[in-house]
Amino acid sequence: MTSAIRIEGLVKSYDAERVVLDDVALTVPSSQIVSIIGSSGGGKTTLLRCVNLLERPNDGTIEIDGEPIFSGGRVVCPSLARLRQRVGMVFQRFNLFPHLTAVENVMLAQLHATGTDEHEAVGRAVALLRRVGLAHRATAYPEQMSGGEQQRVAIARALALRPTVLLFDEPTSSLDPESTNEVLRVMRELADDGMTMLLVTHELPFAREVSDWVVFIDRGKIVEEGPPADVLDRPSQERTRAYVRTYAGERAESLSSALAAS
Amino acid sequence: MFEVEWGDYAPDLLTGLLKTLEFTAAGFAGAALLGLVLALLRRSALRPLRVVAAVYTEVFKNIPLLAIIFLTYFGLASQGVKLSVFQAGTLSLIIFYASYLSEIFRGAIGGVHAGQQEAAEALGLSRRSTFAHVVFPQALRSALPGTNTMLVDLLKSTSLLVTISAAELMSEGQLIASETFRALEVYAVIAALYFVVCYPLSQGLLWFERQIAAGVPLLPRRRRRMRAVRALLKEGVPA
Repeated sequence: MTSAIRIEGLVKSYDAERVVLDDVALTVPSSQIVSIIGSSGGGKTTLLRCVNLLERPNDGTIEIDGEPIFSGGRVVCPSLARLRQRVGMVFQRFNLFPHLTAVENVMLAQLHATGTDEHEAVGRAVALLRRVGLAHRATAYPEQMSGGEQQRVAIARALALRPTVLLFDEPTSSLDPESTNEVLRVMRELADDGMTMLLVTHELPFAREVSDWVVFIDRGKIVEEGPPADVLDRPSQERTRAYVRTYAGERAESLSSALAAS
Repeated sequence: MFEVEWGDYAPDLLTGLLKTLEFTAAGFAGAALLGLVLALLRRSALRPLRVVAAVYTEVFKNIPLLAIIFLTYFGLASQGVKLSVFQAGTLSLIIFYASYLSEIFRGAIGGVHAGQQEAAEALGLSRRSTFAHVVFPQALRSALPGTNTMLVDLLKSTSLLVTISAAELMSEGQLIASETFRALEVYAVIAALYFVVCYPLSQGLLWFERQIAAGVPLLPRRRRRMRAVRALLKEGVPA
């Protein structure tokens, strides 16, 4: 089986005091879903952002679909743009283009990154909006949409170039519980369709449900990893146990308060 | 109360008004272009380029337009560089207003959220496409109010070109006043003409701002695209 993402010996530091990632290794096999969990500031998001080189590591190697893109402290892929067309990304704060309608957001990269013709781009954009259940919002602007709708458009936008891997950076962290469920439903469907995904999340029940592999990262190091049942239900490390306890508790509390409010 | 034979002077006023609009169009187009270049230079990774643009902006923002007009018309002529009135006038307007516009553009470009740039990069858009399709359109929206104010201000400032007899509206007024000795009447009419041009212009620009803020697609390309989307949505899901 080929690996969609293979990372070895990844180091990222801003200076000697602040080492964000310390010798991290991670593999995401094709059609599998890997979740990265851990406290804020532990390096999860930085790790994710290294995969499409939005963040430049200091050392280590990164391969996408078996092709090295970063090695020995240098970017080695011939075209960053081409790489990023194969690796879709969904952001915590959606980052939709506010001056464009939903459907234009999904079309933009097709028109200006890959030069897809207009007719085909419109067709694909509308089909993708249907897939995330938002065809009826195609002509709405981001500010006219709820957070959950915006994030689903952002997923459609990330799928528009038919990437082989999708990266999710805490996709539900700025959403209310109802919007969270909308977005998780779409992600679950992608998972069922066999999409390869690397996801940073605090949604432990969701991570348990869809992930093939869970990685717990803390202070720039992978502390523990394995199948979700092991890492989330029977963590072997004390730090993992503390994290899982905190987030399971918080989530249960916010859910129960949401239920009480509704 | 009107004693000047305005009917006789109408053709002169019209010529003057057209000249004023010519100066405005040429001056504003040049100033917007140079202003954009300066704004981009101030965001350059290379320090010397940033310094050059910053010095330019600070120098010309703090010199009166009239001094620039005299420098380009009389000053350069004294050194053997003879510019026509139109060249010197337009050049002065460009030099002066570019410094203000560059400040407005710099703020507008810097105000586009960093996440926008990242989202565009993550989609594999080139630097040029990112600027053209993501950063620039958003910066343009936030720069519009300030830019529009500058356009109206520039139109009014063309009246300073009376000092080099530029044959624009104010110069025509001065001629008529010297022929008729009716300064109050003449300059009141000239002032009213400026108002009649500037008021609809600024209202028109406000309307334009509101259209854009309301998300009305103004480019034919976008309208065509949105029509195609609506048609496709109406078709429903293909079987």
